[in-house]
Amino acid sequence: MSDIVLDELDQDLIRLLARDARVSNRRIATDLGVTEGTVRGRIKRLQQDGLLAFTAITGYEIASKTRLAFINVQAEVDRVREVADAIAQVPLINAVLLTMGQFNITAFGLFEELDTLVETASDRILTIEGVHHVETSIAVKTIKYNARMAKITKPGESD
Amino acid sequence: MSQSFSFDATDHAIVEQLRLNGRANNQQIAETLGLTATTVSTRIKRMEDANQLRVVGVSDFSAHGFNVLMKIAIEIDGRRASDVAHELAELPEIFAVHLVTGRYDIDVLVALKEFSELNAFLFDTLSKVRGIRSMTPAVVVDVVKYQFDVAPIEEGQ
Repeated sequence: MSDIVLDELDQDLIRLLARDARVSNRRIATDLGVTEGTVRGRIKRLQQDGLLAFTAITGYEIASKTRLAFINVQAEVDRVREVADAIAQVPLINAVLLTMGQFNITAFGLFEELDTLVETASDRILTIEGVHHVETSIAVKTIKYNARMAKITKPGESD
Repeated sequence: MSQSFSFDATDHAIVEQLRLNGRANNQQIAETLGLTATTVSTRIKRMEDANQLRVVGVSDFSAHGFNVLMKIAIEIDGRRASDVAHELAELPEIFAVHLVTGRYDIDVLVALKEFSELNAFLFDTLSKVRGIRSMTPAVVVDVVKYQFDVAPIEEGQ
């Protein structure tokens, strides 16, 4: 990862838009004392650089039984990347991280039914060639989660 | 929190448009879906007021200078896990805290600017939190996928 230098205006934009992405450029321009064109240009650049993206976050209650689960995977070391790419294709998997530690891949997913989690972990992930061992852990309660910060990857992009 | 709130087909369609482009204005969404701009605006406001929707700018970890990500599985001893979890949630370095089932009690996600901060974070900050029996870290070396558009929404957030 390279060093990214964002000036104060970029940071103000990120902060304002994190609160509400639907505020107009004109309103932001007035609030920050810059022109609308500057706001438009900065937002576009931050998006192009993969530093800012806009999305709609819905509450857990949209599916009240939804639970976040961590699926920790031990995969053959020389196949970690292909295994991780395969896991990223599994439905309901939201995140796939390559890690150094007890496991070399950690996947996150949101599941409405325990059956679906078991099926995902045992039938879909454990059966991927190169996977040795899978352990799941269910988040029974979220104490803190900052959804305003993420790794911005383009859909289908694997790096 | 309103457990009773339910999304209908129109709500879902609007959310889908917002996921494609959170900055689309009401008129654009209305035209795509064959609704009026007023309906779009009313629906969005209703979902937001019920704390079921936030349309936000999500920034990359690197935009904040965070180059080190870690997941730490924590075992608790002699203290309620939820008390420890709430204390951990107050630390700015920790951006996610979950109470979990399984071998460990708490799972946290940590973002640091550089590895050199790890020493102080472990030995000055985390070591002061009572009740932590063991920590099993996993250092994130690459992110293959990271898509979270469902999350707990707190009031006023």
